[in-house]
Amino acid sequence: MKNALRVTFLGVAVMLLVSLTAWAGGQKEKAAASTSSSSKQYTIALIPKLVGVPYFNRAQEGAQQAAKDLGVNLVYTAPTTVDSAAQVSSIEDQIAKGVNAIAVAPNDPAAVTPVMMKAKQAGIITMDWDTPADPSVVDYSIHQIDDQEYGQHVWDLLVKYMGDSGDYAIITGGLSAANLNSWIKYGEEYAKTKYPKLHLVTDPVPTDEKQQVAYQKALDLIKAYPNLKGIIGISTPAPVGAAQAVQEKGLQGKIAVVGTSLPSMSAPYFSDGSLDAVTLWDPAKLGYLTVYIAKMALEGKKPTTGLDVPTVGKIRVAADGKTIFMGPPQDFTKDNYKQFPF
Amino acid sequence: MKSVRSVLLRTESLLAMLLIVVIVLMASLSGGKFLGPRSLQSMGFQLPEFGILALAQMIIIITGGINLSITYSATLSAVIGSVVIAGLNAAHQSPALAILAGIVVMFVVGAACGAFNGSIVAYVGVSPILVTLGSMTLFEGISLQITRGGAVTGFPVAFLWIGNGTILNIPVPLFLFVIVAAVTYFVLERTSYGMRLYMIGANPTATVYSGVNVKRILFLLYIYSALLCALAGVIMTSRYNSAKESYGSSYLLQSVAASVLGGTDIVGGAGKVLGTVLAVLILQGVSSGLDIVGLNRFITNVIMGGILIAVLSVNYLNTSAGSKTRLRRRQTSEVLR
Repeated sequence: MKNALRVTFLGVAVMLLVSLTAWAGGQKEKAAASTSSSSKQYTIALIPKLVGVPYFNRAQEGAQQAAKDLGVNLVYTAPTTVDSAAQVSSIEDQIAKGVNAIAVAPNDPAAVTPVMMKAKQAGIITMDWDTPADPSVVDYSIHQIDDQEYGQHVWDLLVKYMGDSGDYAIITGGLSAANLNSWIKYGEEYAKTKYPKLHLVTDPVPTDEKQQVAYQKALDLIKAYPNLKGIIGISTPAPVGAAQAVQEKGLQGKIAVVGTSLPSMSAPYFSDGSLDAVTLWDPAKLGYLTVYIAKMALEGKKPTTGLDVPTVGKIRVAADGKTIFMGPPQDFTKDNYKQFPF
Repeated sequence: MKSVRSVLLRTESLLAMLLIVVIVLMASLSGGKFLGPRSLQSMGFQLPEFGILALAQMIIIITGGINLSITYSATLSAVIGSVVIAGLNAAHQSPALAILAGIVVMFVVGAACGAFNGSIVAYVGVSPILVTLGSMTLFEGISLQITRGGAVTGFPVAFLWIGNGTILNIPVPLFLFVIVAAVTYFVLERTSYGMRLYMIGANPTATVYSGVNVKRILFLLYIYSALLCALAGVIMTSRYNSAKESYGSSYLLQSVAASVLGGTDIVGGAGKVLGTVLAVLILQGVSSGLDIVGLNRFITNVIMGGILIAVLSVNYLNTSAGSKTRLRRRQTSEVLR
C-alpha cells in the first residue's frame, strides 16, 4: 500500500515537473529565437569521423580559427569511437539543436544519407568534408586534394630525391582502397610521359594499412631488386614502414623513400635521411575552409575557382559548382615537420 | 518476497527520480531546446535500436549469462537480409515483395544466430561469455566475407519508412520499441517461463532439481534475444539505408551498462523491463542533452561513467539484503564444485 502511494506520488511529481519545464523551455525558446534573428550569428556544426585523434584535433584548430575570424559559432563534435550509428546520432542531435549548417566527414557515406536528407528538409545547409558523402544530399563537398594533382605531386617528389631514372617500387595500403588506387593510377600515367626513364619493378604491393607489413614488404623488395633506387609509400603507414626497412639496412643514401603520411608518424625517420619527404594536406586548413564555405553558403554567396581563402590559399571549384578542392598538398621534410603537430 | 519487491521498487523509483533530474537539468541548460518537438522526435529515432539491444542483453544477464554477440547478430541478420532486398530490388521485383522477403530473412538469420549461441550454452554447457565472445567474431567474419568491408545498399525507397517514418509525428521505431518492451515485460514478469528465468539466474542447480528443463528454457531465450537483435538490425538497416558489419558496435558495452543501471543483477536472478527502459531513457537523455547543450564529448563520457558508478553504488548499499543472498548463492556454487 505504502509503495503504491509512493509510486503514485512520484508519477504525479514527474508529470508536474515535465509540464513545468516544457512550459519554461517554450518561453525561453521564443526568447532565444527573437534574439538570434536580430544578431544573425550563425551556428555551424562540423562532425568529424571521431574525436580524440591527432588528425581531427588539428582540423578542429583550423575550424576554431575560422569561426573566430568569421564571427560564427562552431560546434565540433562526434563520437569517441568509429561507429556510424553513433555518428548519425551526433548529427540527429545537431539537427535538434537547430544549427544553421552541418558538415560531416562520414565513416560510411551510405549511412549518413537519410539523416543528411532530414537535415536538408529542416532547412539546414548540408556539406561533407574530408570524405565525400552521397552528392545528392549535400550542398557543398569539400575535398582536401585533387586526386590527379596529388598523384603527380608524389611522383615529382620521388624524382626530386632519386633522380629521373632508375628502378622504383610502390607500396600501397590496400588494393581495394579507391582513393589510393586513383593516386597511383594518375601518378603512373604521369610518369610514363614525364619521366620515361623511371622503371617500375613490380605491381603495387599491398600492406593491409599496417606499418609492420610495409616494413616486411620493403625488406623483401630491397632483397629482390638490388638496383632499387626509390620507394613510394601510398597510405600513411606505408612510407614509414619502408623508411624503417631502409634505416635498418643502412641504405639511406642509396634508396629514396617518399609517400603520403603524417609528419608525427614520419618524425623518427626524418633525421637520418631514411625518409626523404612525405606529402599530405594540413587538416587545419581543411577545417578552416569547411567553416569558410559554410558561412558563404549561409550568406547565399557562391564560391568560384580562384577564390583566395585566408590562411588556405586559392581554391578550385569543379564544373558542378559544389565540389571544392583545397589548394596544393603540403610537403613535410626534416626541415619543417616540427611545425606541424599532427 | 515482500522485501525483495520493495528493494526493486526502490531501484526503479531512484531511476525515475534520476530521469526527472536529467530532464529538468537538460531542459534548463539547453534553454528549453531539449524538450522541443524536434529534439524529442530525434531522441525517439535514436533510442529504439539501442533500447531493443539493451533488452536483448538484459534477459540474458537475468539468467547469469551475458551476450557479447548482440551487435554482430544484429548486423549479420541485417547484411544477409539486405543482400536479399537489394538483389530483389535490382531484379525489378515489387518493392513490397523485396522488403517482406528481406525482413523474413533477417529474422530467420537472427533465429539461427540465437540457436547457435543457445545450443552451445544450454546443451554443450560452455559459459555464455566464452560462447558469445566466439560467436561475436564468427558473425563479424561472416558479415565481412559477404560485404568485403563495404556497405550493402540499393533498397526500395519504401523500406526507409521503417526507420525514418513517423505516425502522428511519432517515430515508427519508437512504436516497435514499445511493443518489444511490452512483450518482453509480459514474458518475463507474467508467465511461468519468465519466472523460471529468474530462478535459473538465482540458482541454476536448485532449478534443475526442481524439475525445470533449464536447457530448453535457455536455448529458447537465446533465440528470443537474437530475434530482438534482428529487429534492431531491421531498424538500423532502414535508418542508415545500408547494412555493414560494424553498425551499432558501440551499443554492446552500452547495453550492459543500461541493463545494470536499470537494476539488473550482473550475476543474475534480478532485473526488470521497466528498470532497463528507464535506464535507456536516462542514457539517451544525457547523451542527446549534452550534445544539444554543446558539451565536449569527452566530458559526456565522464558524466555517463559517473552516473553509472553512482547509481550502482547506491543500489549496492540499498540491497544489503540482496548482497546476503548473493553471498549465499556463491557459497552454494562452491559447495557444488
